[in-house]
Amino acid sequence: MGLTGFEQDHYATLGVSPDASDEEIRQAYRLAARRFHPDVNKAPGAALIFREVNAAYEVLSDRQRRVEYDAVFQGRRGAGPRLSLESLYSRRYVKRLDEPQLLYVLLKIQPTQGVSVRSDAPLNLCLVVDRSKSMQGVRLQHVKSAARRIIDASRPEDIISIVVFSDEAEVIVPAQHPRDPQGIKALISTIRADGATEMLAGLKAGISQIERNLDPRYVNHLILITDGRTYGDEDKCLELASAAHVNGISISGIGIGEDWNDRFLDELASRTGGSSAYISTSEAISRFLNERVRTLAAAYAERSRLVVAPSIQAELVSLTRMSPNPMPLPADEQPVPLGTVDGAGTTSIVLQFQIHTREAELGEFFVGRVEVSGQVLGTGRMVDQAVLDLAIQVTDKQIEEDPPPGLLDALNRLMLYRLQERAREAVEKGDPEEATRRLEYLATRLFESGEEDLGQAALLEARRVAHTQRLSDEGAKRLKYGTRALLTLFEDEK
Amino acid sequence: MITCPHCKHPNMEGALFCEECGLSLWSDPDEQASTRKLDEDSNEFSVKSGWGTATFREQNEVIIHVRDADEPISIRPGVEFLIGRSDSSSGINPDLDLTPYGALEKGVSRIHAALRRGEDVLSIVDLDSANGTYLNGQRLAAHQPRLLRDGDEIRLGKLVMHIYFK
Repeated sequence: MGLTGFEQDHYATLGVSPDASDEEIRQAYRLAARRFHPDVNKAPGAALIFREVNAAYEVLSDRQRRVEYDAVFQGRRGAGPRLSLESLYSRRYVKRLDEPQLLYVLLKIQPTQGVSVRSDAPLNLCLVVDRSKSMQGVRLQHVKSAARRIIDASRPEDIISIVVFSDEAEVIVPAQHPRDPQGIKALISTIRADGATEMLAGLKAGISQIERNLDPRYVNHLILITDGRTYGDEDKCLELASAAHVNGISISGIGIGEDWNDRFLDELASRTGGSSAYISTSEAISRFLNERVRTLAAAYAERSRLVVAPSIQAELVSLTRMSPNPMPLPADEQPVPLGTVDGAGTTSIVLQFQIHTREAELGEFFVGRVEVSGQVLGTGRMVDQAVLDLAIQVTDKQIEEDPPPGLLDALNRLMLYRLQERAREAVEKGDPEEATRRLEYLATRLFESGEEDLGQAALLEARRVAHTQRLSDEGAKRLKYGTRALLTLFEDEK
Repeated sequence: MITCPHCKHPNMEGALFCEECGLSLWSDPDEQASTRKLDEDSNEFSVKSGWGTATFREQNEVIIHVRDADEPISIRPGVEFLIGRSDSSSGINPDLDLTPYGALEKGVSRIHAALRRGEDVLSIVDLDSANGTYLNGQRLAAHQPRLLRDGDEIRLGKLVMHIYFK
């Protein structure tokens, strides 16, 4: 779905200023049509962009409609978009070659400087807790004390609900402002472990608690905590997540121990712009949950999404969110849900392109367009939209340049995560030799990066694969979430 | 095409790390380490170090450069060397008291972290501090020691320091 009606920023879409002349608007439209028209550009992102370009042109090329549109967006025109985009390229100059080449772009999304950042958005939060038999004992105790801490830390304007599930779901704390923390904590104490893991029921009940107070001024979020697999209802869970996302709800998943399905939880979360995390010891639950809730409360924009429309001479190969909540993002499904844009930090994404310069002219080379949109909290239903056209220079001789250190650092981390992924793929396609080799490479690179513990874990798994042809469940998760955690880019010191 | 010098894998032009074995194709990391300056300006992106030696012998000293401080601190850590800020009311007195370096304002906990000496290695461990300990920009999990290398950057809360072995 593209942005529609008055929510779209037509000037940003066409890349013209609000006082552009009719001729400038016409030229901008023609350029965009040449780049993104579905007859010439088959990339999924391009179709989305072209639809928006068309909608923008329809309005801005019609004097009467442009006047109406301007009247509605008077306020916005002065300030410009409240999200800003910055890019770092692995190379600014590429030599024209017959063969395809790689280009990396680090995209940074931030609140626009000078725009007052609201970092106290109220939460509409539901905790959905697996209380199946396997959670019995320490795990459930830690989850309960983590939930109590969230209640203690909550603010009067927040709305909190708690749902537990095993064979069926039960609403322990219906959605409410935490006016009676003691009462809520007493309810949390009643949670007992029993039964199996039927996730669908739990998710349904959780989402319906959030929907009671669905409001664009809130951060509407569901945190799923589980230690097991759900059987048979995974597809329905995913459909439910997609539907929740359309309604403005994001989901993050927390897996405890070794037995849960990490790919499923990843997919569930990524459909809503959320993320999944692995917790190996129950002690870490509280710290982790606190951190997640704190991040949510620092949200600047919600329901944000990214569209990447590569030019016809480029392909988007991969997309990875580095921070916050590192996670690979789907490159072939557009738009990509990004969830929350943090007010305090930067959302960083690495884009990997394959570019084809064989038929390119010397000079400026258009790589593609990125568009990020989201609802800045506290501004009503309006969507803010930032557009950035990526371009480099094509030359006829090699120009030596140093890649920016920030990007190099990001790619070094990404390389570790990739090695891990490819080792796992090799195991799955039944090639233990390749898997062992990749794990040994991974271990080497981890040691080089000072990650002794993870490096040891990779070596251990390499030996295991050589003998048993399998990764251990624990080792696979440890390496995946361990290398994923390394992706986090730390903040620029301000 | 760039052929990886280590595994001979053919990589696409523009690749910065080998797709097959992960080797940096751009430059030798050891060269980077030797050109690193003591007072590097890391306000844009902190430079990831981690290539210095991890060997720390009995006779070695640790030199700590607190950012913006005039004098480096030189110490010979024992088995466990506590870092924090002293607090007379609770009687806490760490081996290295960072109070003179603005520890309180920068969010250093009273008992923040410790250096631990192992066999020919030195590690750092976060002691569940409120604002965290960062090694080369990465937050450490509490109570999980990590090996230190010559030249590592450590951040306690907002207090940045570099560690050198001598």
